Amino acid sequence: MSFRRLLRRWQGALLSIVGIVATVWLGVNGQLGLYIHPRYFVFTMVMAVIAAALVVAAFALVPAAEDEHELLDDGGGRWAWLWSAGSILIIVSATVGLLVLPPATLTTATVAKRDLNGSTSNLTQSEADSLVGGDYSTFTVRDWSSLLRQGAGEDFFADKTATVTGFVTPDTSDPENVFFVARFVVACCAVDAQPVGIPVYYPGWQDEYPIDSWVAIESGFDTNPSIISEETIALVPSEITPTDQPAQPYVY
Amino acid sequence: MNMSQTIAGRPPAARRRPGRGLTVGLVIIGLVILLRAFAPQTPADTLADTARDFVTLSISVVIESLPFVFLGIVLSIMVQIWLPEGFLLRRLPKNPAARRVVLSLLGMLLPVCECGNVPLARGLIAKGLTVGESMTFLFAAPILNPVTIITTQQAFGWDSGILVWRIAGGFLIANLIGYIYSRHPKPESLLTPRFQDACALGDHHDAADGKIKRSAGLFTKETSAMLPALFIGAGLAGLIQTAVSRDVLVTLGSNPVWSVLALMALAFVVSICSNVDAFFILSFGATFMPGAIVAFLVFGPMIDIKMLALLRTTFTAKTLVQLTLIVALCSAALGLAINYVV
Repeated sequence: MSFRRLLRRWQGALLSIVGIVATVWLGVNGQLGLYIHPRYFVFTMVMAVIAAALVVAAFALVPAAEDEHELLDDGGGRWAWLWSAGSILIIVSATVGLLVLPPATLTTATVAKRDLNGSTSNLTQSEADSLVGGDYSTFTVRDWSSLLRQGAGEDFFADKTATVTGFVTPDTSDPENVFFVARFVVACCAVDAQPVGIPVYYPGWQDEYPIDSWVAIESGFDTNPSIISEETIALVPSEITPTDQPAQPYVY
Repeated sequence: MNMSQTIAGRPPAARRRPGRGLTVGLVIIGLVILLRAFAPQTPADTLADTARDFVTLSISVVIESLPFVFLGIVLSIMVQIWLPEGFLLRRLPKNPAARRVVLSLLGMLLPVCECGNVPLARGLIAKGLTVGESMTFLFAAPILNPVTIITTQQAFGWDSGILVWRIAGGFLIANLIGYIYSRHPKPESLLTPRFQDACALGDHHDAADGKIKRSAGLFTKETSAMLPALFIGAGLAGLIQTAVSRDVLVTLGSNPVWSVLALMALAFVVSICSNVDAFFILSFGATFMPGAIVAFLVFGPMIDIKMLALLRTTFTAKTLVQLTLIVALCSAALGLAINYVV
């Protein structure tokens, strides 16, 4: 039995094991939310368990090598090594990506690629309208950023206090004095994540709060003191509290 | 040229030792668990942000798609091994056009998203579905299934017309493609040589083995075909997402032509599951024209980076280029018609 035949037959089972162990590990440790929407948690775990049973059955019942009806469409001799090298590369890459590297959220690098507070990330007009008069103490970063984007004026924000947690990402129009406390909004999985954020006026923030670090802020809104920032209303806190990344870093 | 070859003849039955394979499998699983247990648990600053986001995005595609691929493989195993011979196919109408119409509604019974439809379609082809009919099923099922319809209705309601256009567009394009490829003189040439051979062997392969063993064997074959493609597709999707800024696409939103093309490009790049793409695109409603939204909702479930990687396990590259062009042209025509006429 050649290594190539062994690899051809079992590469799917090996990749399945990598995917199953990574999924179950994330699920058990409450980290599936780093990658997918909570509505998929149960389905994902159930399918992982079913697939695990099939993998075990395959190892128990299927002959080690494809020796009854082997299909070799990789060109046989000369280019066969290329097919094997590709398979090994995929398995190693999957193992490193899913099992060796620690689970992580998206960073400011993705914020820069995806229109912070763009039309794609906020609530619709009717949803934002329905927020007015609600329980402001429970509002998320997404709720406040939607109200800001929908044009609720300074009068509306004058007596409001936001209590929010998010990661730090700079305001590109005045990165010295203003940053956004931001979250990603996820519809399905991290691939569709769109950043939302509330501007925070806090000169010299870089010295205290690194980009992508998580902070908790309780503050009122005010006219943004920055004269070059494009944001007209901002949180102007007297104190910002560094905090740990929450178990579910995205909002839905 | 068909490079495949079949090694005929069954080896001695004593080749597999009972329990040995199970032991090997359990040892591998144990080692993988140990690897994960001893790997770092919290992100370190070893990777640049862009590289870290590339990994996160790629893993996200894998974690989201993998259960659907497994579900598709399980359904494929059911169709090929556990259901009585011809259970599904002999109930289809004899008339080709009527068969395609019924097949385009099969997603109502088997609501798997597009990733899971590929292994299921492979199983149906192996059991006798024609290539054109399989394409009709593949392209219609992600749109014409209850989950997709409900989420689209929740996102856009009935009044906007987006749901109706999505259903009608998906149905018509899928049936058009099925019709076009039903006219192909050599439909088997549309399939990869490897899959052709797998289909040819399917009927008599392992017939003497029990159903459980055949199921396990089919699982290893289908995962070996599908999962490398899924991982490659996930890597490409992650790479393009970290390389291409969405701002460029969003700025094109108000132009009746460019908005359609921009959202089709976004659908291709994002590779989002058809079951929830309506929620994702909902907030674009204020920026993009309705035709662009419909084009996104019709084109995305049929063609995207991840889907092309999965389809490549079954169809030749030339066929996929043709399919991509047809679906893109039809989706663009639909979107433009809505923007200019409706």
